[in-house]
Amino acid sequence: MMSNGSTASGFWKRNQRQWAPWLFLAPGILMFLVYVILPIFQSIWISFEDWDGLGPKTWIGFGNYIELFQDEAFYTSLWNNILWLVLYLLAVPAGLAIALFLNQTVAGIRLYKSLFFFPFVISQVVVGLIFTWFYAPDFGLLSTLIKTLTGTEIAVLADERYVTYGIIAAGLWPQIAYCMILYLTGLNNINPEQIEAGRMDGARGFRLFWNIVLPQLRPATFIALVVTVIGALRSFDLVSVMTAGGPYGSSRVLSFYMYEQALSEYGYRMGYGAAIAVVLFVIMMVFISIFLVRMFRQERNS
Amino acid sequence: MGNVTLTRVTKKFGAVEIIKGVDLTVEDGEFCVFVGPSGCGKSTLLRMIAGLEDISSGSLSIGGRDMTDVDPAERGVAMVFQSYALYPHMTVAENIGFGLRMTGHPKEEIARRTAAAADMLQLKPLLERKPAQLSGGQRQRVAIGRAIVRNPDVFLFDEPLSNLDASLRVQMRIEISKLHQDLKSTMIYVTHDQVEAMTMADKIVVLQAGLIEQVGSPLELYHRPRNIFVAGFIGSPKMNFLKVTARPTEGGVAVTFPGGPSLTIPTETPVIKGETTLTLGIRPEHLDRETGDVTLAGTVRLAEHLGSETLLYVTLADGAEISVKADGLTSARPGDAISIPLLARACHLFDTEGTALHNGDLTR
Repeated sequence: MMSNGSTASGFWKRNQRQWAPWLFLAPGILMFLVYVILPIFQSIWISFEDWDGLGPKTWIGFGNYIELFQDEAFYTSLWNNILWLVLYLLAVPAGLAIALFLNQTVAGIRLYKSLFFFPFVISQVVVGLIFTWFYAPDFGLLSTLIKTLTGTEIAVLADERYVTYGIIAAGLWPQIAYCMILYLTGLNNINPEQIEAGRMDGARGFRLFWNIVLPQLRPATFIALVVTVIGALRSFDLVSVMTAGGPYGSSRVLSFYMYEQALSEYGYRMGYGAAIAVVLFVIMMVFISIFLVRMFRQERNS
Repeated sequence: MGNVTLTRVTKKFGAVEIIKGVDLTVEDGEFCVFVGPSGCGKSTLLRMIAGLEDISSGSLSIGGRDMTDVDPAERGVAMVFQSYALYPHMTVAENIGFGLRMTGHPKEEIARRTAAAADMLQLKPLLERKPAQLSGGQRQRVAIGRAIVRNPDVFLFDEPLSNLDASLRVQMRIEISKLHQDLKSTMIYVTHDQVEAMTMADKIVVLQAGLIEQVGSPLELYHRPRNIFVAGFIGSPKMNFLKVTARPTEGGVAVTFPGGPSLTIPTETPVIKGETTLTLGIRPEHLDRETGDVTLAGTVRLAEHLGSETLLYVTLADGAEISVKADGLTSARPGDAISIPLLARACHLFDTEGTALHNGDLTR
């Protein structure tokens, strides 16, 4: 018995450095495999089947995809996702502008910073509700304002032309706050002597910002772009809360359309929903791959 | 022309006055060092000359032109920062050429002047590197290169060697002194290291609490300190101070140590009127003599053997502590009784306010 125990501990001692990291990683890896990696492949599998979620599955090959590429609602959602992506990126320069504005030492600056950060703290559902009321005809602040200025009333969320822009504006509010915090941290890390050196070198105003400050904010800009692009692509909650995709499906995005097809009262077309999810996944993978390649390259350089 | 003149310059941060009225002239081509304890305002004064801090009142002129409210880039000054403040995203060449780029110089001229500066500082092989890939000494040289390339009338250095290790500090000290000889520009240098001040300066400005205590050449400050602060600040280990009672005598001052022995210190003019309490100052190296006019008895408390010399920390009979710079071969050990010879000619005298009444002079 004694000799047995000592050989076991000897084995552990010899291999501890190799084994310990994997043991620590094991719970995370296991969870990630079961709840992330596996469902991805399951979804891809289901996208080739006709399935109502309960009954028997029927293999239909590319049937779901063929239907999808002839579905006008799909193209509306795709177009809205592109709109989200482009306009959501405004959060990055806007966040930078506010961060630059707040990066000063005035009495009570911490309070102002927290106030600007506040929209990021509250739930997206609450943000959606606030903006719904803000846009609401009759009592909403915006529509009242427009009515007094122009005499006509615009119901932003009931108008196909404006609805997506209205929702994106609501989404920008917390996203700008998020980018602002990222940039404030970045600004904090800049050595003030470098700014002074820039001033001695004759760089002032915009040129000082462009040549000295902005290049040093590159890590912050990178993270801000990543979270904003991914945030735009996975937008769902605001659409769900503010319009539920309406009017007439004009504010749907891919993730919401997927939910509608697969899980809502409008249908239980699991296979069709999975096909939408796969398309969204492919789009996301394009961006994520770009980000990852850049990150790896930077790590190798440093 | 790079002569710098400060006239009744003050600096206030809110209600707090950091610089309390400074008058100073630095001649063209002079190497001027600001020293003082931390918080004395020496860096603030330098930054006011640079234009990085506003001047609350008073005026500043450089090369005869009023620069009190002129933009930092237009004062004809260049600064080397304590942290070097190199731009981390630019190569060495871009760092050095940035100032010229901002002032709109053509590309060829920037390249030519950058190369010339790099040549002078042996930076040629490093031009394409980023600051992160350089050692501390190399970064320091790039920071100096960035200043040189702009061809300023006045160079400002803000504790530039404090981030370097001891041996590199000595080397860079020599390089900066050589640079001063080659360029013959005015240089103003802030440090708290008196070795740097003594070795590099043409003129030392000792500051305390926002005021100038004394201005002079290194040896002038060392041998003829105007007050007890300068006497204690310049020199390492610092000057010993002993409380004595004094009365005037023919041709000098008779002082009595608390332990009993007394001594007559010759002075050129009478310095006190009646009997009074004074502070007697004497440098540690002047206590290592074969004979003295009087001897003080004490006990060695600590001996630091540095090889070339030995620092003895001695407690006198009355409890006062003094340091003695003795020969490197001395055999004194802690606990040993020791008698210290004191030369009257080497003693300085300060009144109760700290003003020097008499400076000792061994050459007399």
